[in-house]
Amino acid sequence: MYYQLINFGNEEFHAYPNKSLYWKRLNTLIVSDLHIGKSISYAKNKQFLPPYDTKEILNKIFVSLDKIKPSNLIVVGDLLHDVFSTLSIKDQDYKNLSQYMKNTNFIWIKGNHDKNIQIEGFKNFTNYKIEKFLFTHIPIETSLFQICGHYHPKVKISHRGKTIFKTCFVHNEKIFILPSFGILTGGLDIHSEQISDVLGKNNLSIYPVGQDKVYKL
Amino acid sequence: MNINKSNPLLLHPLNKWMKKKKWSWFPHQIETFHHVQTGSDVVVFAPTGAGKTLTGFINPIDDLIKLKKFKGLHTLYISPLKSLANDIVRNLEKPIKDLDLNISFQVRTGDTTPYKKQKQKQKPPNILITTPESLALLNSYENAKEFFHNLKYIIIDEIHTFLDNKRADLLSLNIERLQTYSPNLQRIGLSATLKNKQDAKKWLCRKKPKIVSYENSVLPKIKILESKERIPWSGHMATYSINEIYKEIMKSKLTIIFVNTRAQAEYMFKNLWLINKKKLKIAVHHGSLEKNLRLKVENNLSKGLVDCVVATSSLELGLDYGDVEKIIQVGAPKGINRLLQRVGRSNHNLNTPSKAILVPTNRFEFIEAKAAIEEIKKNNLDKIDLKEGSFDVVAQHIFATACAGQFNINDLYKEIIKAYPYKKLKLNDFKQLINLIQDGGYILKNYDQFKRIFQLRENKNIYKLVNKRETRKYRMNVGTIIENPMLKIKLGTKTLGNIEEVFIQNLSQGDSFIFAGQVLEFQSMKNNLVQVKRSKSLISKIPSYSGGKMPLSTNLANSVRALLAKSNMWDLYPEQITEWLKRQKYISKIPKKDEYLVEQFPRKKNFYTVIYTFAGWHANQTLGFLLLRGFKEFNYKPLGFVANDYAIVLWSLKEVKEIKTILNLGLLDKHLDNYLEETSIVKRFFRDNAIISCLIERRLPGMEKTGKQVLFSSDLIYTVLKKNEPDHILLKSSYEDAKKNMIDYDRLREILKKIDKKIILKKLTSISPLAVPIILEINRENLSKKETDEYILEDLENEILKEANVLSIN
Repeated sequence: MYYQLINFGNEEFHAYPNKSLYWKRLNTLIVSDLHIGKSISYAKNKQFLPPYDTKEILNKIFVSLDKIKPSNLIVVGDLLHDVFSTLSIKDQDYKNLSQYMKNTNFIWIKGNHDKNIQIEGFKNFTNYKIEKFLFTHIPIETSLFQICGHYHPKVKISHRGKTIFKTCFVHNEKIFILPSFGILTGGLDIHSEQISDVLGKNNLSIYPVGQDKVYKL
Repeated sequence: MNINKSNPLLLHPLNKWMKKKKWSWFPHQIETFHHVQTGSDVVVFAPTGAGKTLTGFINPIDDLIKLKKFKGLHTLYISPLKSLANDIVRNLEKPIKDLDLNISFQVRTGDTTPYKKQKQKQKPPNILITTPESLALLNSYENAKEFFHNLKYIIIDEIHTFLDNKRADLLSLNIERLQTYSPNLQRIGLSATLKNKQDAKKWLCRKKPKIVSYENSVLPKIKILESKERIPWSGHMATYSINEIYKEIMKSKLTIIFVNTRAQAEYMFKNLWLINKKKLKIAVHHGSLEKNLRLKVENNLSKGLVDCVVATSSLELGLDYGDVEKIIQVGAPKGINRLLQRVGRSNHNLNTPSKAILVPTNRFEFIEAKAAIEEIKKNNLDKIDLKEGSFDVVAQHIFATACAGQFNINDLYKEIIKAYPYKKLKLNDFKQLINLIQDGGYILKNYDQFKRIFQLRENKNIYKLVNKRETRKYRMNVGTIIENPMLKIKLGTKTLGNIEEVFIQNLSQGDSFIFAGQVLEFQSMKNNLVQVKRSKSLISKIPSYSGGKMPLSTNLANSVRALLAKSNMWDLYPEQITEWLKRQKYISKIPKKDEYLVEQFPRKKNFYTVIYTFAGWHANQTLGFLLLRGFKEFNYKPLGFVANDYAIVLWSLKEVKEIKTILNLGLLDKHLDNYLEETSIVKRFFRDNAIISCLIERRLPGMEKTGKQVLFSSDLIYTVLKKNEPDHILLKSSYEDAKKNMIDYDRLREILKKIDKKIILKKLTSISPLAVPIILEINRENLSKKETDEYILEDLENEILKEANVLSIN
């Protein structure tokens, strides 16, 4: 798989087109905003989205784990969409997950969507510190470098009279925001107020995600 | 002789009024009255000006007077347009008020206030004038049966506009519902003259079906604008003739200028204002304008307070503005029926001919305009193909039915297959649609506990809505017309209308564009409101509404081919056109009526193949994509193509030697599925299907602010569904829609079936005169969205890299 090399906090990260981030030195895979079970949570409001998102997200994760065999898997928040989400995870997938967890340390950081949800056998954290990096769902006041999610960043690209929106990885000097790893999840313009409040407007490094490649702007 | 027997209308309550007006009854009115009185469902075909509206009301008014103080709803009048509904009220008002008849009538459309609607439900008028969507809504109320149980007549106006689209499906289902509520209901259809009258009868009539037809002997006077300017090779804006158009407006009391797209309307309007030295009152009218602005224009038009209105199809139908003296059609007529409809807007008087001027915007359009005039002389109309009913509309109807109360699926199925478009609906498909409304109908049964409708335990055939809240959702999502996502435009606090989101996304602060006839400057977008201010700039982008692009009708296309081949006519054309055709004959060839000319020539290092199919741009577009694949197979290294109504041009790196081997029916069978797989065409129709079937909710202006509405990208849903459940009923439905609409499958198939024996191949050393217009259209890339995205990203990255003097990245 092609990856884009990203330097953040003087460390090398690899950004993959499947919207995961890999920290090679510590053999750590990072994903964000999976929103497992989003479809089923909308079904309770009678919006019947195709119920295949959970299966697809998990398969995507399993493929990555098989390929990379990371020591750590960090989810920086919103692993689950809401309390109904676990309904959509089949027993077999639970078993598979547990199997993978034997070789990979699973660090589940709580997001705004899943802060009150527990799954048996899975520990979760408000945030998690490794060396000078803090993994958290929403950035906080700190002098550490932060790697987070929450915003589902997208970038508007106007070029030669055409405008497209692309999911992206984005960071400034201190804060890195991952794209959503989910299937039915939307996105937010990186120049929107919400993201600007966090990252500022200037000196952003933006990495749009293409079909088989992560680009650099 | 008993005179009353020969004309029973002489005893009709309206006869006194007719006499006062010095009008006499038309034969078709007498005939219709007789048929309806003797229990027939009738379709009446008559030209405008032949008292069509009145024809529909003759029996209802007679019946209402006889019944004396009838309480409740007696007659329903369905109009295709809101503006037409208002016009009908104005027309009905005159005799009823003049004669002081005790008959109540009201209009009910999307524009009616909630207060008024509520009152109508409590105390229905005798005659209700409404639209198919409002009827569907009425049928979704719990008291629908009570409301309609005494209904005697339903009148469908302009029935020819309903026959070939999803609105027809929706309407047909709702008419059957009314028939169930009121078994004695009689149906009266009013139509412009139609080629296939029997089809309209089959669609509407059940009881002793009858056709009543009245042909106008006075032909409209249509001519092509005699321009001193050169007709351009290509383009659609008619800038060359703007001064001459202005002169024509000055000559007439009241003119309507029809154009083909909203963008053209804005452009034409602006250009007229720029040269408006005489300070003529000119207005613009199209579907995106705010209701109040539209109504104001309509009002001024009916009072004769304007000199000219520039309009799109929004003013095309039925409106009875008697003072309109002249119609100017700018751009290709596209079809005979459509042109006749538009021309009929002038001079609503049977004995004087309508007057119209056609303004072709390019050379091919000149031939098309000429052909259209010839066909109208011969009264050779386009055939309107009835369509098979769409699945998504049935799904919406099931939801509506559930909103009105619990229902038996067997009864519902029996009722639905009485509707003509759904005669062939399979029980199995119907059950899948029930499931679709119930919980999305997925194979993976994840949603058992969240159903929208559920089976009663005591009777598995009876379904019930899970809770009342769902009725609101249905009502927000009713209808089959899906607009692209639109944003409201605000000038200060005033709302001007709606504009496509895609267009706004392309603007930066300070960019100007034309809307509602003004040059506006984009300031900001907040809460999905587009804030603008008036711009002093004269340079502007134009709203690029995607709607309104229709393909050339097969009938007119055939006529264009026939006319092209008649070289003895050429000398009657403007010199530039004659010259153009003569040079084509000299350099290449003019194809005969049943021939397909293919030209090949080298140009700028590439090899060009031009195929003149006259198949309409949908079919040509499809053929272009298929040929790209065919060329690839033969290793001709194709680079791209452009299609319009008349032709396709493909360019490739290598010479295309085996065109006759490639261009045949096999091409369609071999590559169509792949083509659909790889382009976003089906995806686009999936969006409509998902919204119409209420799988996802419609996005409505103003709703975003409340935050209650959850919006989903239908593209995401499509992708997930296609991957996991490719046989889902909505995918099937979307595929059928794409095949019918965008691909023009049947038409393309017809052409490819016979093409290989009729190809005339011309190898040229350079571009031919006939090919110039289409070659000029080559300026856009024909890549799928996915490919375009990648291309833009790649290109941008490379540019930045070049700037940064970095040659490559790993």
